[in-house]
Amino acid sequence: MTINMEELKEIIIKELFLEDITPGDIDDNAPLFGGGLGLDSLDAVELVVIIQKHFNVEIKDMDEGRVAFESIKSLASFIEEHQKS
Amino acid sequence: MKIYINGTGIAGGFGCGSNVLLNRLHTGVACEPSSQDGYYPAFHADISSLYDFVPKKSLRRIDHFSQLALTGAYLTFNEAGQDSFDKMATGLVLCSGYGSAKTTFSFLDSIIDSGDICASPTLFSNSVHNAAAGHISMMLGIEGPCLTVSQFEISVYSGLLSAIQWLREERVGQVLFGAVDEYFDVLGYCYQRRYGRNSNISMSPLAPGIQSAVPGEGAAFFLLSRDKATNCYGAITSVNTGSVKDFDDILPEESFYILNADGHIESDKNYSKIIPEGSLVSCYTPYYGSIPTGPAFDMAIAALSLREGRIFPVPVNVIRPDNYRIPVQESTLNQGNISCVKAGVKGEFSIITLSHPG
Repeated sequence: MTINMEELKEIIIKELFLEDITPGDIDDNAPLFGGGLGLDSLDAVELVVIIQKHFNVEIKDMDEGRVAFESIKSLASFIEEHQKS
Repeated sequence: MKIYINGTGIAGGFGCGSNVLLNRLHTGVACEPSSQDGYYPAFHADISSLYDFVPKKSLRRIDHFSQLALTGAYLTFNEAGQDSFDKMATGLVLCSGYGSAKTTFSFLDSIIDSGDICASPTLFSNSVHNAAAGHISMMLGIEGPCLTVSQFEISVYSGLLSAIQWLREERVGQVLFGAVDEYFDVLGYCYQRRYGRNSNISMSPLAPGIQSAVPGEGAAFFLLSRDKATNCYGAITSVNTGSVKDFDDILPEESFYILNADGHIESDKNYSKIIPEGSLVSCYTPYYGSIPTGPAFDMAIAALSLREGRIFPVPVNVIRPDNYRIPVQESTLNQGNISCVKAGVKGEFSIITLSHPG
């Protein structure tokens, strides 16, 4: 299943309570952590829960997380790949 | 020993800040409840002033309950003119009847809906009993003792007694004392199940046989100290609890009584068993609603009455019983004391008495 990146952004904004940010403000290729969005380690834990809850995809360890959380685009790819398997 | 009120910070269905409440008290017009979730109408608090003190972005992980508490805390220090204070010598007592119920129910729902593996760590951390007090301590830098009290309708009295005791022991120089309760959809659902849809309800406290309680939410905070500041509101002279069977020594001799009658039939009927006939009595719950920590809101109104030297008119929809003197118009406060009275269903009651700072 193809992941709609705008929907994914909306879910992240809503679930992480990102005030005053719209999906249009998030660059598909920009890093999620330490960059423009300013997410931190607690957000990473929340993101693992959010991805499992909304897409039934489990991010099992830090190595997987590092790849998945690189950007919105990589997160969407990770979800697509793991939903297939 | 007198305990002085050197600042207040209040938010509720009437708006945000003591000046907004004061304007409302002058008008005598009750607030309009509204339904935001399709359940029972309620008085929802305005916490927009919080963003004057804290950037919205840094509040994103702090839930509504804690934001209510932070609003009260920031407003209090701002009003008291304490941009900097002795952090080690400042204590914090926070009271709540329900606590952060909205977050706690959301956390439980997340487990029920998606399993414990999908439980939100942010919701969990905000649902912890002392979370709101922790947020206040961290954001304002309070390093003294910190306590959260939850004993439903006697939370305010229990918390106030602890705060006063800390000051008497000279454990701290001042205490930020606050009461917070929030509206949550489970509460609205329960009201609706018990009392019907009732979308046009208005609070009519003290009306015999009429159930008119409307849930509310808000925060009422006070900066308490042994030392009187120049902008002091008044002094807390006594905090007592009793029962209708034995209360002769508790009532002050000459007082203006503010009743926390909130439209619940079972408790409203007990005020006439406590307060002597002919007493000067008012009730201001239609400004903020039925809240377990309601006595703290009455305490804020009493503090404003003392500071302004005025008795504010009773809101128009409060029933005016024949056996009491009711202030239908604003007048000069001639009484030395103002007593905030809360009666319970079983005849238990509590009284906080405030007086001029002298």
